[in-house]
Parts: sequence; C-alpha cells; structure tokens
Amino acid sequence: MSRVVKKTPSVCTDMPLNNAEVCAKLHLMKELLRSCYGPTGRLKHIRNNIGGRVTTSSSSSVLLPALSSSQPLLNLIKSSILNHISRFSDCGLFAAIFCLSLLEHVRQHELRENLAIKVNKHCLSLCTSYLQREDCACRVKVNFCSSQNLMTLAGSIISSKPACLLTEAEKHHISTMVVRAFLQTIPCSTPGPVTLGHTVTVTIVGLRVLDSAVFPGLLVEMYDPFDQTDSSSGPLRTVLFSTSLAGDLAELGDGTIEVDPDVDTDLQVLNQLLELGKQLVEDEVRLCVCQKVIHPVLQQYLRSHGVVVLERLGMALMEPLSMLAGTQPVATLHARILSTAYGRVKNLSTKQFGFKTMLHLQPEGEAAVCTMVLCHRNETMLDELKVVCQKAEHGLRLTLKEPSALLGGGCTETHLSAYVKHKGQQEASESAAGLGCSPAEFLLGVKVFCRSLDMVARSLEHDGGTSVIDLNHAHHWTVSAGATKEDMVGGLGLCGCGLVENSPSTKWTFLNTEYAEFCPAPLLGDSCRKPTVLDSFTAKVNALQVAVETANLVLDVRYIIEDVN
Amino acid sequence: MPPSERLRLEHVLEMVSALEAVILRSFGPEGGQVLFTRNTGQAMLSRSGTRILSALHLEHPLARMVVECVWKHSRATGDGSKTFILLLASLLRMISKAISRELGASHTYGFTEAAKAAAAPHLANKLLELASSDLDDLVAVNVVPYGFCLSLEDFTTHRLLLASFFHTRVSHVHCSYLSELTCEMLNRWKHKSDLPCVSLQFLSDNFPALHTPVSGFPVSSSRLIEGQVIHRDFATARLPNKQQPVKAAVFTNYMQPVLLGPGDVLKVGYGDGVTEQNTMVHFSAWTERSLESVIAKLQSLGVSLLLSAVKQSDAALALATQAHMSLVECVSEEELSLFMQLSGVTPVSRGCTIQAKHVAALSFCRPILLGAHRYVHVAFCEAAETCELNPCSLVICGPGEEQTDQYICAIRDAVCMLMTTWEPKHTSEAAASHGTVQSNKSPASSDMTTQSTANEPYVLKKCVLEPGCVIPAGGTFEFLLSKALLNSSLPSVSQLLANALLSVPRQIYSHSPKLFLQAQTRIMSLVQNPSNSVRLKESTSESTVDLGLESVACKCQLILAVVQCATSVLRVDTVLHAHTALHTRSKKHTNSSQDSTEDEEED
Repeated sequence: MSRVVKKTPSVCTDMPLNNAEVCAKLHLMKELLRSCYGPTGRLKHIRNNIGGRVTTSSSSSVLLPALSSSQPLLNLIKSSILNHISRFSDCGLFAAIFCLSLLEHVRQHELRENLAIKVNKHCLSLCTSYLQREDCACRVKVNFCSSQNLMTLAGSIISSKPACLLTEAEKHHISTMVVRAFLQTIPCSTPGPVTLGHTVTVTIVGLRVLDSAVFPGLLVEMYDPFDQTDSSSGPLRTVLFSTSLAGDLAELGDGTIEVDPDVDTDLQVLNQLLELGKQLVEDEVRLCVCQKVIHPVLQQYLRSHGVVVLERLGMALMEPLSMLAGTQPVATLHARILSTAYGRVKNLSTKQFGFKTMLHLQPEGEAAVCTMVLCHRNETMLDELKVVCQKAEHGLRLTLKEPSALLGGGCTETHLSAYVKHKGQQEASESAAGLGCSPAEFLLGVKVFCRSLDMVARSLEHDGGTSVIDLNHAHHWTVSAGATKEDMVGGLGLCGCGLVENSPSTKWTFLNTEYAEFCPAPLLGDSCRKPTVLDSFTAKVNALQVAVETANLVLDVRYIIEDVN
Repeated sequence: MPPSERLRLEHVLEMVSALEAVILRSFGPEGGQVLFTRNTGQAMLSRSGTRILSALHLEHPLARMVVECVWKHSRATGDGSKTFILLLASLLRMISKAISRELGASHTYGFTEAAKAAAAPHLANKLLELASSDLDDLVAVNVVPYGFCLSLEDFTTHRLLLASFFHTRVSHVHCSYLSELTCEMLNRWKHKSDLPCVSLQFLSDNFPALHTPVSGFPVSSSRLIEGQVIHRDFATARLPNKQQPVKAAVFTNYMQPVLLGPGDVLKVGYGDGVTEQNTMVHFSAWTERSLESVIAKLQSLGVSLLLSAVKQSDAALALATQAHMSLVECVSEEELSLFMQLSGVTPVSRGCTIQAKHVAALSFCRPILLGAHRYVHVAFCEAAETCELNPCSLVICGPGEEQTDQYICAIRDAVCMLMTTWEPKHTSEAAASHGTVQSNKSPASSDMTTQSTANEPYVLKKCVLEPGCVIPAGGTFEFLLSKALLNSSLPSVSQLLANALLSVPRQIYSHSPKLFLQAQTRIMSLVQNPSNSVRLKESTSESTVDLGLESVACKCQLILAVVQCATSVLRVDTVLHAHTALHTRSKKHTNSSQDSTEDEEED
C-alpha cells in the first residue's frame, strides 16, 4: 500500500499558440532544422547527458529522435515528421521546416486559426492537383530505359547529407552503387506480381570509400577458417536449418521429466543429430547453414565429409538466403528431409575486406539478392553513409510505384509558390465565398502559405547569400554574399535544379520581398538540359501533405493538458 | 471524527463552471482540439468531452462525480458530453439565481443559509420529476414534427447526421471525408432484411478487429478495403501462391501435440535397460510424426492458409512451409472470432479431428502493406450466411498516432450514436393511453397542426418519438423545447430548464451574437406560423451545409442525464474526508474551504 501515490492534477495551458514561451520553442526548433537543410547544411553533434557516443549528422531521421522536449506541441510535430520519415525516408527536413514556418507566419500575420486551417487546406489541394497534372512544369518523368534520372535522384539524396563527407568522385561512386544494387533487386523473369529482393548492407570501417562495392548474392561473415581448396567449386547442394542443432531437448510440454541416472540423454540426442548428419552426407549436401548453433561434434562430422558448415546466421539473413538458394528452412530432426527442401548455391569464395573475412555465396541463376559493402574512414561517417544509402535506395524504390521525380534545389518550392499565388489571386472571390471569408482574408492566407514555401527554398542557403527567383519560370537561384547587381545580370549561371540557364533578358526578384503575381511559364520542351538535382516525387508530395496537416492540427489545438504524474 | 467539507451551491457552481471553461475551448463550430499527454509521455488529441474531462485528473470528489456521470452518458449514447457540462452549468446557474431571487423577495433573515441549502435539492427534485415524466411527451409533440425520420434506403441523410457529429469531434477540414467513409462502411455492412440496429451492434462489437490505424500518411489516404485484415504477418517466408479460391483452417491450439501437461511426470530410462521405446528421442519423434500426419490431412483437404491463435513450434512452421501452406500465428481472439463469424467455420482444437467443416473457402489471401507493417488480407467467398453483407475493413490514416487514434474513437462513437438514434422506442404510456399511436413510419406527421399543441400540450397527436428521428442542428432542438416548456402548463420549475436550454445555442453562436438572434427568430416564426413547418424541413435540405442534423433521441437522453446529474450533485451536502494512513494530506485541503462563521457547525 505504501507504493500507492495520490495522483496530482494535470497541468493545463490555455491557447498554447498565444503563449510566448511555446512560440519561442517552435522558433528555436525551426532555426535548428533550417540550419541543417540542404547540401551545404550545418552538421550537428549529438551527445547524451552521460557522455555517450557522439553522433554527427544533419539528417532528420537522426536529429529528430534525439531532440526531446517537454513541450507536447513540439512532440506532436516531431512524431508526425518521424512517421513520415519511417514511410518514405526522404523529405523529413522539408516537412518539418515547412510546417514550422507555416505556424510562424500564421502567427505573424495574425490570421484567425480556423481561417488559416481552411486556406491551408485549399492551397494544399491546389498544389497536389497541380503536381498530379500532366502539364506540371516541375515534375520530370523517370525513364527506366536510361539510368540517368535514377543516378541524379540517388545523387541528390546522397549529396543532401553533408555529414558523409564525400568528395565528388566518391559521391558518384556511391550513387552508381546504389543504383546498381537497386536494379539487382528487381527480379526480371517472374510473371505476376513482383516481389522485390533484398539488399544486405555490410559496413567496414577504415577502408577508402572508393573500396565500397556491390556483389550479387550474399556475403556472410566467417568466424572459422575456411578451407577453400576442394569444396567451393561447382553448384553446391544447400540445406538451411531454422532450428537449433545444438542437441537441446525437444519441447515436450510443461511437465517434469525424470531421467534414470544410468541413461545418457545427451548421447541419445547426439546420436540422433549424427543420424541427421549421415542423411545430409548421403544426400550429397555440400553447404549446411543453421540459423542457430550447431553441435561441435556434428560440425566436425560434416566437415570431415567435405560439407561447408555455417552456423549462427541470425534471423535477418534467413529470408535472403532462402531466396538466394531456393531452399525451404528445415526444423524437423527426426523426419527425412524432402528433396524439395534443398537448394543450390553456385559458388563459394572468400573475400577479404580489411581485417574482415567474408564468405561470398553466389546464386545459381538469377536471384534478387545482393550485398552492398560500404567502407568509410571512421565510424560516425560510416553510420551516416549507411543511413543515406538506405534512404537513396528507398527513394529509388518509390519511383517504381510512381515513375516521376520533382525538380530539386528549391525550384519546386518557388515554382509551386508562384503557381499558388497566381491561382489564388485569380480565383480569390469564388474561393473566399466557398470558405466563408472575405477575399482579403483569403489572399492573406494564400500569402502566408506561399511565404512559407519560399522560406523552405531560402533555407537551402547558409553562407549569407540571398535567394532570388526569375519572373519567367519561377525557378530558384542563389546569389552569393558579395555579389553586385552586375554579377546578377551575367554571372548567375544555372538555377537550383540546373534546368534553366541565365539569359540577359531574365528579370529577377528577391524571394523575401513582395512581388506581383505571375503565371510561371513551363519550360520549352526542346531544352537539351537535364536537371542536376531531383527529389523523390512520392516522398515530397506526402511530405507536403503531412506538413500542412500537422500545421493545421497544431493550429487547431486550443488547450493542453499535461499529466505530470 | 473525519474532517468534513460543507458543500454549498456556490461551490458546486464554481466547480462546474471551471469544467465548463475547459470544455468551451472545443465546443461549437469555432472550437478546437485539446492536446494532452499521458504520464507515459504519450500524446493524445481529442475534442471528446469525456476524454478531456478524464484527462484532468480532478481531485475534488464532486467534480469526479460529475465526470463519472458524463462518462456514463457518453458510453451509452456516444454523443453530447460537451453539451452535458454546458447544460449542467447553466442549469445550476439558473437554480442558484432562482433561489437568490426567491430569498431576496421573502426578506426572511436568519434562516437564509438553511433555506438556501434546502431550496436547491428541492428544485432539482422537481426538475427530475418533470424530466422523467413529461419530457418525452413534450419532445414528441413540440419538437418531433419539425424533424423527420432518416430512411434506411437513403444514406445521404445519414451522411449529414454523421457530418455534424464529426464536426463536433474532429478537425473541421476532415469531417465530410470521414462521414462519407463511415456512411460507405455502414452501407456495406448493412443486412438488407434486418433492422439497422443489428448491423450497428455488430459493427460496434467487432470494431477493434475491423480497423487498422496507419500513421505517416495524410488523412485523405484513409479508405475501405474489401474483406478482413488480420493484423499479423505471415510466419512462413513463402507468400501464398495465386491460386483462387484459398482454403483456410483455424487453429486455437498447438498443431504439434503437447506430450506433458503441467504436473505430468515422464519417466525416462527406468525399468529394463535402454530400449528403442524408452528414450527421450522416441517421444520427440512421436510428436513430430503426429504433426506430420496433421499436415498431411490438411494437405489432402486442400488447405493452404492456417490461422493460429498461438505461436506454433519451429517444426510446424517448417513443415507447413514445405507443404506450401502459409501460416499466420498469434492472431488475436477478436480477429479470429470475426473471421469465424464471416466464414462460418469452426476452429480445430485437436489436430487429429480435422474435417471438412473446419475448412473455410476464401476468395483470396494476400499480404497487404499498411504503413510499417505487413498484414494478411483475406476476402470471403459469397457463402450463404454472408451473401447480403459486403464485409470490409477500415484503414484510417493520419500524420501521427494521436490523430489516427482520435479518428478511430470518433467513428466508434458515431456508430454508438447511430445505435441510440435507431434504438427501438417503447411507446410512451401517455401516448398509448390515447390510442393514437401510428406505426406508419413515413414522415407524414408534418400535417399535424402545431397551433393546438402550443396551447394544450397534453393532447397527443399521432406523433411519437420514432427511431431514426433527426432534427436540424444549430440549436433548433433547444429553441423548440425551451419554447414548449415556457408555453406549457407545467410547474414553474420548467422555466428554469427552458432558460438553461437556451445557453447551448448561445454558445454555438458565441462568435457572433447576431447569428443567435437570427436563428432564434427564424425558428420562433416557424412555430408561430404552423404552415411553415413543412418549409423548415425543406429548408434543411438546402441550408444543412451549415446546420447539419442531430439525433432527437440522443438529445432527450442527454437532458434526462443532465437533470439526474444535477439532482445527485445537489443532494450531497457534506463531503467527509475519511482518514486513512494514506491520505494524511487531505486535511489541509479541507481547511481552506471550512467557513468558521457558519452557525450550523454542531457536528
């Protein structure tokens, strides 16, 4: 009874968005995340309060879980963004920055919450319907006949994470690898619904990045020395056990077992195991793999008969291996193993990476399993590289569902913002009537939405430069800090995504200033330029939706009750 | 003697007003959400009054009693928890005002406190009497004619009712989408022959197994999918092959026989030496052999999907894989029971007794990826029992768990609210005695004259509160009932209730008092001019965008529950803080509220 503690009443906050302390926290979070955005984003060291390992990253999937706050509103935003990241891997920072700037701008312009929610929703539907349209000027079709778009997409994702500390050549090498691994996991010959294969990632610290490579098949770490002389050539008959072969007693139930002291149960079980071994040898099995432990005597027996033994494979590799070899896992010790349960591995060889020796299992025929070996100079960078490669691969897989990509480098944001502004102005009176507000209020809401989108594009610049857009296509350009008016006319080069080239006739405006609305013109089709920065379409559209919905949700919160027990 | 706290009307009113202040933030068309965090750090969002109140962890015993009343009411009807607090507060305010006016008029000094203490419960008792005897009839005569019955065939009216319900429970931008989704689900689950109650009851019983929350997607990705989703992944790596239809069997127990129950003793190796029959190996071989025979039996019946309530052994898993069967383990009890209801199959309890009746035919079985999880998606063949149903499951998406949670609660409560709306009514005694009950379900009651009812409320016409009766939202019910109460020949206490009722529309239109007056005039003019009663119904179909609909049955129950709660709150006069070793702190709470000038403190 002494442990029963009386519950204390909850702590309440009325109208949290009018609370200066809450707003300051939201602002701080926005500035923090903004400073990480893009290829030139600043890195963050994360260290816990008891001096644990230090992580360096600028990726939202690492930063957000580390940011813990006592403010429930921040946690609400954080969990929404994390959920998005866990589904789409990409565009987490975009969603977070957009959501937080929407909240800040709504407050700055003193919009009524319910009105802001409606207008945000309206603008979002303008954006999503425009992005789905055939003539959408910021969408690019991904062509699977050439790897160029895929390479650009993977390259953009990899270069947006500066914590990997890669040189240009290394970036290119890694993006090629990711695309190759992605292509290898797509099975070619199976009819009907396609099941994508697996990419297993192995990390090795201390080697050069350029030593990273992709191998078809599986690389399994070796603990015992492996004699390569006789057993590795030719297709090998393979068996895969999912149960322990260590000689444990079978599960007979919860009752008690009394054993006569004269009876050696261990020996009986071992004899049973050896029986099994005998069958394997009779069936000409040459590779025996077990998820769990194999009894040393059985191992010795099998080895002496020329069978390669691999134990303690672990759960994670079971499915790729059974896919690679076409085996069915065996878990019975007494029954005869059916011939259909056996599979085949084409070849066995050892590979040496630094101090690690790996056994390479090559598939016979085509199997959608490959292993990516990632190397980097130190552990922190390697961790980040692993995260980035997985993100990039996920981004590529998303293109299978929706073969499109969006222009990167802030161009999609500025283009969309110009489009929404134009559309909003055009249909102001009808839309305002539909939402039950005055046209002026509606236009203010649209302005808030567009400003927030522009804000995300502006966040790409961290070196004191300014962001401008051209008044023709509404693409995004950056002007470095020391640039003069003359530089702007002649020397801006290409826009953020690399699709538009500067010409003397182009007019400019700064992004943080007011400009008259215009309809962003689509690019002419005959341009031979290819975009140099691409974002995943599916991920970005979902991020846009999640950001607006989360912002709307936060705007709708009028009261916070915190249970402090 | 335990420390006591004398309760006075002012204290009660103060406390209920504090609750009202919290509730008002999320009440009405301009209301928003309340975010709360649990002691585990988990965040939740809600606009549901019950949830908000219970999250406050109130200390005062009376406040807890009120919260308990709200909780019970919303459990029964699924609706009206916020209006509950609002009405309660305004009713208590009216009572307090009435008492002070009365005492002020009588000028009897000296007995003030005692008289005051006695007056409140007295008034409350009278109110309760009124509400429990005359309320149903009043509503039937004065309110029902302005409403109409939902039809079973036409679900657009349900859509409006649901839309206005969701308007009070979730963010405004999503209510039309959610109501369409819910309507579609109701339509698909509707038995053509049965009463709506039956299918609604079925839905509310099986709701946990019928929905899947998915976070990380926008709300507009929520959808209905055919068949049932079993919230487990395949245990076997091999996915079911594409052959259709699929045959399935349900296991509630281990497929591999358990040799020893708890308490059993197996003696190994005793007796005459070690023989083949007497070793451990022999027993485990036996269990494996019987497992093999079970699998063989299943194979001969053509079964390719096994659903199991428990985790099967490794051997069972491997053998099933080799026999090209898919195994789904640890399926929850609710999902299994729904599966068995829909497929009409009986579970296998002992492996050796498998028969054809244990085998269900499914039109397909495939993996489905919802959010981070892969689940098993099955659809049922058109069997005799289910031919009228179109089973479907609900996938609710939202950016975060807090939101999906909120939507799920809202939909569950919506089903509960519809159940209350469609609950078959027992004909009230007063109506039965007049013998004018009409079972005709058509909304023909419109031709009744309202003029006569305004003067003689006890002459019952053919209007009875029928199941499925709804009325335009936005305070129509409150305006009509309060008007009826004022005009009736009921005791004067009904005036209190009439005035209290008006506080609800006042809060609905709190953002612009002009709208309140407009709404009031519109409805009053309809009452004055009976020929317009038809027009109100017609006008609803046009202007329901802003008004919506609400259920009359829920409203009636709400008023009764509020009056009951008020009575029980006012009847309490003293709170005793019982001393136990645990609550040594409670003394200091009472000290502050004890009034030393009170002259009745003899105890």
